[in-house]
Amino acid sequence: MNSKAYYGEYGGQFVAESLQNTLKEVEVAFEAAIRDPKFMEQYHYYLKQYVGRETPLYYAERLSKKYGTKIYLKREDLNHTGAHKINNVLGQILLAKRMGKTKVIAETGAGQHGVATATGAALFNMECTVYMGKEDVERQALNVMRMEMLGAKVVPVESGSNTLKDATNEAIRTWAKTAEDTFYIIGSAVGPHPYPRMVKEFQRIISIEAKRQHMEAEGRLPDVVMACVGGGSNCIGMFAEFIDEPGVELIGVEAAGKGVDTTEHAASISKGRVGILHGSKSYLLQDDDGNITLAHSISAGLDYPGIGPEHAYLHDTGRAKYVPITDVEAMDALMELTRIEGIIPAIESAHAVAYALKKAKEMTEDQSMIICLSGRGDKDVNTISNYLAGKGYLN
Amino acid sequence: MSNRIEKAFDALKAENKKAFITYVTAGLPTMEVTKEIIKAQVGYTDVIELGIPFSDPIADGPVIQQASYEAIQGGANITGAFRLMKELRSEGVNIPIVFMLYYNTVFNMGEEQFINKCRECGVDGLIIPDLPYEEQDGIRAAIGDDDTTILIQLIAPTSGERIPALLDGARGFVYCVSAMGVTGQEGTFHKSVEEYLRSVKSHSTIPVMMGFGIRTAEDVRPFKDIIDGAIVGTHFINLLREGDFKPDVATAYVKEFKEAINSL
Repeated sequence: MNSKAYYGEYGGQFVAESLQNTLKEVEVAFEAAIRDPKFMEQYHYYLKQYVGRETPLYYAERLSKKYGTKIYLKREDLNHTGAHKINNVLGQILLAKRMGKTKVIAETGAGQHGVATATGAALFNMECTVYMGKEDVERQALNVMRMEMLGAKVVPVESGSNTLKDATNEAIRTWAKTAEDTFYIIGSAVGPHPYPRMVKEFQRIISIEAKRQHMEAEGRLPDVVMACVGGGSNCIGMFAEFIDEPGVELIGVEAAGKGVDTTEHAASISKGRVGILHGSKSYLLQDDDGNITLAHSISAGLDYPGIGPEHAYLHDTGRAKYVPITDVEAMDALMELTRIEGIIPAIESAHAVAYALKKAKEMTEDQSMIICLSGRGDKDVNTISNYLAGKGYLN
Repeated sequence: MSNRIEKAFDALKAENKKAFITYVTAGLPTMEVTKEIIKAQVGYTDVIELGIPFSDPIADGPVIQQASYEAIQGGANITGAFRLMKELRSEGVNIPIVFMLYYNTVFNMGEEQFINKCRECGVDGLIIPDLPYEEQDGIRAAIGDDDTTILIQLIAPTSGERIPALLDGARGFVYCVSAMGVTGQEGTFHKSVEEYLRSVKSHSTIPVMMGFGIRTAEDVRPFKDIIDGAIVGTHFINLLREGDFKPDVATAYVKEFKEAINSL
C-alpha cells in the first residue's frame, strides 16, 4: 500500500495494472513541479493574466443585512470560463506539457470542466478530447458548442446512465489505452492518487486568497467557510487553507435532489456507504450488490454518485460537516441571490448559498462566513427557465 | 497443494500442452444458460473466467460492458453467481472457475466473508482488474494460507520493472494483457508485446497466459514458444450472442481452439 495515496482509510489507486507506472510518473512530476518556483511562477502568471485572478471576496451587503450576519462571497464565478474549474485545468495542463505529453483528455458532466480543458488546450496548442455522457451532450448543447469552437473533440458516451459517471469510466478506459502520450485532466477531487491531491493543490488558490482577503476586511479569520460538493473540487480548494485553523467551521453542501429520503439525490456522505469507484475508496451511492446507483440533482455539476476521498476523511474525523440541500432549496436561494445582490449563481453554487442562509440564523451580526460562489449561472438559464416555468415563479 | 487451477496446469505441463481459458458473463442472458455454456466446455476449456456483472466495468470494452449491463438488467448479481457455482459443483462439474470481478463487489460484502463464500461455493480464483498489487493487502490477508481460492495477478505491457514484484508469490497462472487499456480491441496487440511476454516468461515460475484481443489460436502463433496458453473473452461473447447462446456453439468453438493452439 502506498500510504501517501490515502486520507485515513480513503483514497488509494484502484485502477488497472497498465496505469500504475503512469500514476507513478504523474505523481513524481507533480511533486517536483509544485516545488519548482519556475513552474509555480508560470502557473500564477496564467492565473493572473489569463484567468483574471485574484477574484474578489465580495461583502454581500444586502444579503448580510437581511440574514443578520456578515456574508462574504468568494467570486470564482468571475474567472475566465465562468467557474473555478480553470484553476485546476491550467495547473494540470502545464504539468502535462512539462511531462512532454501532446494530448489531453477530460471527462465532463455539465460541461464546465470540459470547456475549461478545451480552453487550456487551445491556449497551449494541445490535442483535446472530452468525454461526455450522451444525455449531458443533449442537455448542455451550448457547452458542447463551446468546446467544439475551442477545437476539442467531444465524444458522446453511451453506456450505463449516459452521464458523468459513465463519461469518467470512458475517460479512464481511453487513458489506460493511450497513457503513453496522453495526460488525463481530472476535473474533480476524485480519481486515483495523486489526482485528489493535485486537484486540491491547484484549487488551493481559492482559500489562499480568501483567507488573506478576509483578514484585510475583518482583521480576523471567518467563523464559517462553506462550498457545494459534488466530487468536491471547489470545496477542497475553499477548505485547504482553513483545515488547520480549528476556529473555522467547515461545511460542505451536498445535493439532496428531491430529498435524501427519496431515491433521487446525490448525497454521497449523507446517504452513501464506503466503496470503490473511479480509482479511489470513498463514500458512494450503491445498491446491496455494490453496483453504483444513479445520482440526481437539478445541478448537472453535482450529479455524481461519489465524493472525493479527502472529504470522506474530513467527514469521519469531524473536521468538516456535510449537509444536504434539495433542488427546491437551491433554486429558492438562486433567486434570492439574483434579486438581492444582482448575481446569478450556478445552480451548483446556489446549494452553498441555500445552506448559508439557514446557517445565518444561528450566527450573530459580528460573525462572518465565506461562501464559495464556484460558478456563474449563465450556463443554467435553460434549466432555470424550465424550472421557473414549472414552478410559476416570475409570472 | 489443493487448488484446482494449479492441478489443471500441472496436468497440462505433464502432457506438454497449452491451456485455453474463456470468459463468460454470469447471467447473460440468464444464469441457467450460463450454466449450460460452462458445462458445454468441459473437456476442452481448461479454466473458465466467470465475469460478475458490475455497473462500472472500467477495464472492459463495449462488448463486455454491454454484456454486463444486460446481465444486471436481467437480475444477475453476485448472490446469483455464488448460487450458480454451488449448483455446478453439486452437479459434479469440476472445471476450474475463476471469478473476474471489480473490487467494489468484494469490498461491499467484506473481504473475509467474500473469500469464505468463494471457498464454500468452489470458486478457485479471483481476477480483480481494478485491484493492483499495491492495494492487495486486504484480500491477501483474507486469503491467508488457504489456497482453495487464489488471487490471479495481471501484468501489463508497461509493467516493466514491476514484473518481479508482481510475480513474487503469484499463484495459478499469470494473466498478461496483450494490449493497453480494455478488453475487446481485436487484433491490436501492444507494439512491444513479444519483448514483454518474454520478460514475464523469464521471471515466471508459473504458467504465462496471454489475453485481450485474441480470436483464434492463429492470433497467438507468433508467441507460441513463449506463452503457456491463451484467454478469449470478447470474441467468445460475440460468438455466443451470434449463436443465440446455444451450448453447441460454445463447444464447437472451444474444441477447435484447444486443438488448434496445441498444433501451432
